[in-house]
Amino acid sequence: MLVKAILIGLIGVFGNMDSRLLGRSNFEQPLVMSCLVGLVLGDLQKGLVVGVALELIFLGVVNIGAAAPPDMVLGSVIATAFAILSHTTAQMALTIALPVAIFGQMIGIVLRMFMATFSHMADKDIDAGKFKKAQRYHIVWGPILYALMYFVPIFLAVYFGTGIVKSIVDVIPKWLTDGLNVASKILPAFGFALLMQTMLSKKTVVYLLIGFFITAYGKLSVTAVAIFAVLMVLVMNEVLPKKPNSVTPELADDDLEEL
Amino acid sequence: MTEEKMQVKPLNKKEQRHRFWSFFWRSYAIQASWNYEGQMNMGFLYGIAPTIDRLYPNAETDPEQMAKKKEAYKRHLALYNCTPQTSAFVLGLSSSMEEEYAKNPDEFNPESINAVKTSLMGPLSGVGDSFFQGTVRVLAFGLGLNFAKQGSILGPIIAMIISIIPSFLVTYYGGKFGYTAGNRFLKQLTAAGVMDRAMHLVTIVGLMVIGSMIASMIGITTPIHMGKTFKLQSTLDTIFPEMLPLAVTFFMYWLLKKKVNTSWIMLLCIVGGIVLSVLGIFA
Repeated sequence: MLVKAILIGLIGVFGNMDSRLLGRSNFEQPLVMSCLVGLVLGDLQKGLVVGVALELIFLGVVNIGAAAPPDMVLGSVIATAFAILSHTTAQMALTIALPVAIFGQMIGIVLRMFMATFSHMADKDIDAGKFKKAQRYHIVWGPILYALMYFVPIFLAVYFGTGIVKSIVDVIPKWLTDGLNVASKILPAFGFALLMQTMLSKKTVVYLLIGFFITAYGKLSVTAVAIFAVLMVLVMNEVLPKKPNSVTPELADDDLEEL
Repeated sequence: MTEEKMQVKPLNKKEQRHRFWSFFWRSYAIQASWNYEGQMNMGFLYGIAPTIDRLYPNAETDPEQMAKKKEAYKRHLALYNCTPQTSAFVLGLSSSMEEEYAKNPDEFNPESINAVKTSLMGPLSGVGDSFFQGTVRVLAFGLGLNFAKQGSILGPIIAMIISIIPSFLVTYYGGKFGYTAGNRFLKQLTAAGVMDRAMHLVTIVGLMVIGSMIASMIGITTPIHMGKTFKLQSTLDTIFPEMLPLAVTFFMYWLLKKKVNTSWIMLLCIVGGIVLSVLGIFA
């Protein structure tokens, strides 16, 4: 258990380092985190099931600017570990993930407040001509503190917590698990609404509905809709009138890559 | 003056490539000490530090260079916040401006460096966040979920491949363009309306994928029925399928538009789900 707790703690650290050192390349998403936890604990299928359930909710949580959203890394790693170690359902994992994510959000806020002092220390070091030291706060101490913020709670929770959680889960009545099942269907709707909030306008709601009805009536998968959407947009790019100003060739290439 | 000009040596091909990679990695690492006061300020300083170090190589012996170097380091401790991927462009551009300043300290106003940084970080965060956090992430994980739901490990793998490719391209070439083409490039980009157009088209793809996910991944139904003949769910299905998921999603959207606190909505989802289940309205 000690080894597993350490490994799972390291997965959490990796999830956070995605944002810290890897430009937020999406390793931190619950689908990836839960699968890694599943691999370490030898139950990949359960990891996938929990990952899907959590991803549907957290897909809508967008990290923009200075706002601190619920901490999905902490939430998904701990919840997946519990679901696998105490043999509970994905719905049960959801109810663990949400409070943990909000707890993570709070300690995250405290840590980010504390790190503000780094700027002042760096400022003093620059005055003293210690340029390398001024950079070290960022690239050494920042990641170390963030890593501890993830490793310690996850390690403690996995190493000491499974027994307690299991006994709690055992006494939960059926109406509550059924209810949580419905809640776990409503939460993704909230996730999608969060996404729509930044993307949707009166003019573009029609595209959302096109995607919806293709799948609702045609039973086509998300993959199919994505392919059609990309092709449709490429056609639109041809059809829509271009602005008079010419575009440099290098620019056009870059544009295409993004699409 | 001529003496200082001599000191800034032009880079050879290999050093040039090394510098573009430095822009790349240091942009990726820009959030390593994210804090509430300067946000990514120390990350930006870390990014531009190699450039500054190169421009003032004799700082230890030459007091004038030392003063310039300190001044440059402090300049980049100012508040900064930008999407890591698009930030590489700003880093490249600022580096070329720092070089310009080191070459012509009398003609070039150093304040313009931070002015450019500050004016770019807003629009580039807007574009960067909605592209990477919005469209790319939705597309990647929408497809990934589709596979993962069938129990396939391909799910997260596909999601990561789709995530990493555009992130890599924009970061690497952003830093390169920022440094080489700099100002000129950005002016063309905004003047030709390419940025707006690309954003619009990319948003359309994102929205269609979200629409498809609403229809396939929520699955709320109602068990309400009267006797054996009337089942509400069948009636709803004849109007159009997956009506409840769409309605619930737009209800959530409406709550968000009404500026209801997201923590409350999350709580409402959980409590509401339990209540609706106990009352036998949703299943």
